[in-house]
Amino acid sequence: MASIGNNSLNAKLVLLGDMGAGKSSLVLRFVKGQFLEFQESTIGAAFFSQTLAVNDATVKFEIWDTAGQERYHSLAPMYYRGAAAAIIVYDISSTESFERAKKWVQELQKQGNPNMVTALAGNKADLEDKRKVSTEEAQTYAQENGLFFMETSAKTATNVNEIFYEIARSMLFLGVLVSFTSTPATGLWCNGQSIWKCNRISHKSSKEELRTE
Amino acid sequence: MFGPQTHSEPSNGGFLSQKTNWRRITSSNPTTSATTITTITKKANNLSVKFQDLYGFSVEGNIDDVNVLNEVRERVRQQGKEWWALEASKGANWYLQPQHSSSGEGLTVPSKLTAIANTITSTMTLKKLIRKGIPPVLRPKVWLSVSGATKKRSTVPLSYYNDLLVAIEGKVTPATMQIDHDLPRTFPCHPWLDTPEGKAALRRVLVVYSFRDSDVGYCQGLNYIAALLLLVMKTEEDAFWMLAVLLENVLVNDCYTDNLSGCHVEQRVFRDLLAKKCPRISAHLEAMEFDVSLVATEWFLCLFSKSLPSETTLRVWDILFNEGAKVLFHVALAIFKMKEEELLRTHQIGDVIHILQSTTHHLFDPDELLTVAFDKIGSMTANTITKQRKKQEPAVMAELDQRLRRLNSVKMDEK
Repeated sequence: MASIGNNSLNAKLVLLGDMGAGKSSLVLRFVKGQFLEFQESTIGAAFFSQTLAVNDATVKFEIWDTAGQERYHSLAPMYYRGAAAAIIVYDISSTESFERAKKWVQELQKQGNPNMVTALAGNKADLEDKRKVSTEEAQTYAQENGLFFMETSAKTATNVNEIFYEIARSMLFLGVLVSFTSTPATGLWCNGQSIWKCNRISHKSSKEELRTE
Repeated sequence: MFGPQTHSEPSNGGFLSQKTNWRRITSSNPTTSATTITTITKKANNLSVKFQDLYGFSVEGNIDDVNVLNEVRERVRQQGKEWWALEASKGANWYLQPQHSSSGEGLTVPSKLTAIANTITSTMTLKKLIRKGIPPVLRPKVWLSVSGATKKRSTVPLSYYNDLLVAIEGKVTPATMQIDHDLPRTFPCHPWLDTPEGKAALRRVLVVYSFRDSDVGYCQGLNYIAALLLLVMKTEEDAFWMLAVLLENVLVNDCYTDNLSGCHVEQRVFRDLLAKKCPRISAHLEAMEFDVSLVATEWFLCLFSKSLPSETTLRVWDILFNEGAKVLFHVALAIFKMKEEELLRTHQIGDVIHILQSTTHHLFDPDELLTVAFDKIGSMTANTITKQRKKQEPAVMAELDQRLRRLNSVKMDEK
């Protein structure tokens, strides 16, 4: 449980993207600092948690790493429902995976929570000689769609911690906004309660939950 | 919980001689020897041990797990003796197609009745025996028979599998590309599956199946199931037929097709059953806004092969092939039931998942799980479950349809 008086958030984060783009590898690198050449294919989804300290605040990520095969698409809403953040992953050596990433972006824009912090990760950045998606193209797309963009490599650990750190920072910023404006839409959590829930039930148990910002 | 089993033990060489056969494919896996401990690392006060389980999988656990696993090995051996004893008294292969004994035409009414009674007794004996586990060496024969795979195979020419193998040679389809992608990612640490030979066999089974049923093609999850089937069945043709009977007869339809609608149905049925059989857990998790499908989807799609230790998974499959898909509900409910008190104390989703994952990971004793699954969960008839499925189907179809329409409207906006 988060300590009282600290700025501490619990945030649901979901990873989406084509099969083999490296979603599980990114999570494994971030959570355990490991990399496996052959990462077992994920079925349904796998859960991880990891806490990050950002300045004087902490963000505890509850990470849902989803299965990439197209037919698993129908299960995705269960995992992105109520998520505060999403990382959409593609493989820089596969144009198909970039196209699929765009579809995920559209879907989240349409169905996801409107305050969701969304990042686009061009993974396998170590495979420069096999690159099919240029940095500029992805960067432009990300800007047009209000996404935060980084090229990552789970293999070499490039930008892996950074992308999660940036998401945490954006969320803390957003979290402060949300708790001031009481928007009951986001999936940000504080002290084990989602903020909007805290606001709604604040008349009952206000002391702890509201002292987060 | 796992007291000594006291069966009379007539010595029987069959078990041992057939075991040699079994070694052919797994090569590294002495079913009867004591657990091989690979490495021991000391982490704080817990001893973490890496060892190989009964089917050659590397697992990590503590010393207790190793002891349990050794005990399970011993019980598997005892259970084998029970099967051999029955074979000695009832004749070899008595368990294959017990219904055949009732087909005596021209018998008098009383002898027909006796024949039927004998069949029922046989079926009941077999059911009890299978619930206690099929010895690994007998699994191929018994599974092929009780699941209906033998019957299924008998409806096509003997050369069916080989003909398909020839037909698929050199063909590249979306399914084969996805299969190739997943081959090195299927139980990557298994000593046999990690060999070129193992991967080639797994590839053939999956590719041939994708051609047999193009609606299924290849669905992620089947790679784990087919891999485990190969380890048990030893020949890829037998593994293929088990996969076919599983998808076409044993499991609910459309678990692995297009939008996994069958899987959605099963998840809804499971949620209802949890509310009925474990109402406290169900209410507690619902209050936490924890959807049990978050964890149970993988259980159902991989038939527990990714979560439970191998022998425990295969004990579930023993019952699955003999009694049908309802065992999946029994087992899934049991996993929750076993940790009822702990689960009721959780307040965070992460804790729920942690409890469930560590429970399944350490379930090296299949009887511990199956006792809860059948004795504590209580009976559920196949009929009840069929009715539940029928009830849920329209809702699933409507949900998937609505989703599809919304996604299409995303595409329209684009234009």
